[in-house]
Amino acid sequence: MFSSGTPLIEVQGLQHIYLQGTPLEVQALRGVDLQIQAGESIGIVGPTGSGKSTLLQHLNGLLRPQGGEVRVGGIALSDPTVDVRAIRQRVGLLFQSPEDQLFERYAGDDVAFGPRNLGLGQEEVRERVRLAMEAVGLPFEYKDRLTAELSQGEKRRLALAGVLALQPQVLVLDEPTAGLDPQGRQELLRTLVQWRAADGRAIVLASHNMEDVAALCDRVYVLVKGQIALHGTPREVFAQPEILMSNGLAVPTVTEVMLMLRQRGYDVSTAVLTDEEAAQEVEGLLHGQTL
Amino acid sequence: MTAAEPLIRMEGVHYRYQAGTRQPIAALRGIDLTIGAGEYVAIIGANGSGKSTLLRHLNALLLPTQGNVCVGDWNTREAANLRHIRSTVAMVFQNPDSQFVASTVEEDVAFGPENLGVPQQELRERVEWALATAGMSDLREHPSHLLSGGQKQRLAIAGALAMKPRCLLFDEATAMLDPAGRARLLETMRALHGQGMTIVTVTHHMNEAAQAQRIVVLSAGQVALQGDPRSIFAQTETLQALQLDVPYPTRLARTIARRVAGFPREVLTVSELVQAIVARSGSPLQAVER
Amino acid sequence: MAKPSEFELVGRVTIGQYLPTASPVHRLDPRAKLVMVVLLIVAVTAGHSLSALGILLLAVLVVLRLARVPVGFALAGLRPMLPFLLILALLQVFTIPQYGATTLWKWGILTVSDRGLLAGILLLARFSTLVLGLSLFSFSTTTTELTHGVEHLLRPLQSLGVPAHEFALMVNIAIRFLPTLAEEAERLMKAQASRGADFGRGQRSFLQRTRQLLPLLVPLFLVSLRRAEELIEAMEARCYLGGKGRTYLIHLQARAADYVAILATAALTALALWMSARNVDAQVWRWITAYL
Repeated sequence: MFSSGTPLIEVQGLQHIYLQGTPLEVQALRGVDLQIQAGESIGIVGPTGSGKSTLLQHLNGLLRPQGGEVRVGGIALSDPTVDVRAIRQRVGLLFQSPEDQLFERYAGDDVAFGPRNLGLGQEEVRERVRLAMEAVGLPFEYKDRLTAELSQGEKRRLALAGVLALQPQVLVLDEPTAGLDPQGRQELLRTLVQWRAADGRAIVLASHNMEDVAALCDRVYVLVKGQIALHGTPREVFAQPEILMSNGLAVPTVTEVMLMLRQRGYDVSTAVLTDEEAAQEVEGLLHGQTL
Repeated sequence: MTAAEPLIRMEGVHYRYQAGTRQPIAALRGIDLTIGAGEYVAIIGANGSGKSTLLRHLNALLLPTQGNVCVGDWNTREAANLRHIRSTVAMVFQNPDSQFVASTVEEDVAFGPENLGVPQQELRERVEWALATAGMSDLREHPSHLLSGGQKQRLAIAGALAMKPRCLLFDEATAMLDPAGRARLLETMRALHGQGMTIVTVTHHMNEAAQAQRIVVLSAGQVALQGDPRSIFAQTETLQALQLDVPYPTRLARTIARRVAGFPREVLTVSELVQAIVARSGSPLQAVER
Repeated sequence: MAKPSEFELVGRVTIGQYLPTASPVHRLDPRAKLVMVVLLIVAVTAGHSLSALGILLLAVLVVLRLARVPVGFALAGLRPMLPFLLILALLQVFTIPQYGATTLWKWGILTVSDRGLLAGILLLARFSTLVLGLSLFSFSTTTTELTHGVEHLLRPLQSLGVPAHEFALMVNIAIRFLPTLAEEAERLMKAQASRGADFGRGQRSFLQRTRQLLPLLVPLFLVSLRRAEELIEAMEARCYLGGKGRTYLIHLQARAADYVAILATAALTALALWMSARNVDAQVWRWITAYL
């Protein structure tokens, strides 16, 4: 446990270059600063090619800093002697379309992969699998089902359970709701909120879905071409829709509506996040009250 | 709405299949559906409702276990009709990475017409035209696997267009794209429809469905609802029961309608919403003066 | 500066990658290039003259430059195979039959003779030249060109029942999916590593590391199958029904440059075989020792 104030993850001036020295060289990250405190949900948004995936992979040590520093629980990841597996237990990473990465014949075994890699005993592994499956809303009996026979939504939840079974402190998710139907999306978001509620945990969410980000995140980092272009609360960030849109990013529908009204000369605030707030602004406008 | 000449007809279509050790699944349970020439139809439904299965019946990738599907006069059951059917009804799939065969853009676009035995001179012309229509002419010699997701989907569209189809099917073609790529693809679909192409799209995004002329709602292998977007999205409770949602602008309009009497609830797009607000506010100058 | 991640497979697999640098080599007829590759294989494997291999290696490097491929990048394609090659080379050094050879160094039961050393170096030179040559081929030839080239060359055999088109397409798709599958493998490795799997190099025994790769095989296989199914659907949707009645966008037309290139390669091959037959190595060795 850390003293309050020590960030769970701290990123300073992070740089990363792919295929350095080859004709296909690409600088993915050009000096990124980031902080994640316990109890927070952080959103990372950015167009394709902005370096989002690269950044996420630094957070659990899959990639190591080529410039700058990443600290997880105070431990510097640039140090080659770091126990990366311990880092990956602390920081769980769920990739895009995680249902494609399931490989065990039986669902329960796949969730058990992580705990088994940690060298835990059979009883403890079983307990962790049970807790993880409950957390994602899958009945424990599903552990004996064939992985191939689960639905897409169930597979995705199973993959999430596989990460939660490591009992990480930070959960990093790459486009977790992509490809889910509306109900699946709601359920997943609920699961995440519930998980985060426990002490000392944090979530990092990389997403194109601005409604998810607006609803879930305490702070948002906007990544463009390997650098942080904007940072703040969702309200602060979406209050600058021009910057987002000029970089090929979407904004929540409510923000878009407010922006269009402003462009037509109406004095409304673009710092609205929810439907209710937007409705209030519009009400004020139409009923002639100044706010 | 004038009745369009029917292009594809599904009559009493049932489809059952066996998946592994499970019981046989009835994916389609009695579908009667007509796609008119020049129509823009969106098919929505929860996961497992049979959307993709239905779509694949339209170009004979799947054959009904019961009932008939006819493209024009061609029944999909006759093997001899396949060439005609699939060059009339072309498809763009969900995964940008699994659709292209060749390693450069123009060679992949040529794949379809090559299969049809189109003579070389015309091949060239078709490839050029398809590339231009899909906005890919500059990338003609680009390696296909180095394209972005959005570009790969436009490559898929170009490849489909090169067959000179009358109808394009889209199987959740925007699902794996970022918002910019998705917007671009939707724009292309609108433009193609404007040029007379029949469009049938399966999607999870209600905003996308809202731009169609007709929405077909599937539930457990049957058509639950059918109609124009406005009337479909007006049926909120039914949609919720079917695990579906309404487009964001519609939801926002309804929230506003709870506070502003008489505000329209059946708005479909952002611009409609803004228009509705503008229409009720008087002139902008009035608002700023305050 | 940290080393490239252990996961960066995509960039390193150079065989199968295409570099569109629009060089004269790119413009050669693929049939000519195929013939040149075959000649190169003959030249590299049939002879046993180290000096001939040196010339061939030099020739390949020159053509790499002509193709505007950065030599460093091509050489880096050898790195993944290096440990494997070194083991093979060492095996050669120690196990080559010893009769008539001069012993250079002895340690217990291990003898290194001049012949053994030569065999080891020959192996390295052969492999390197071959890998560079094949990479050069894929850098400068799109897979559809390759398909067309193979198909054109095999067409005369079609009357004998050889399915030239289907075979060529098979090769085409296999090669075109290499980078895609490498990406998938990379994603899978990262996903499993994120759950504590250890793919670290040099820390564990070969057997242990192999066992660590097993959980990768199942999903990779499944993914490949799924890709194959998706591709089949896409091909069927575009009316693919085999090679009958197909026309082609690309028609191959041989030009003078192609014949010149083939002749040059044939000449080099002949030279290499001649140098091997006439034991030119011995001559070269005498010149070197005399010079020193």
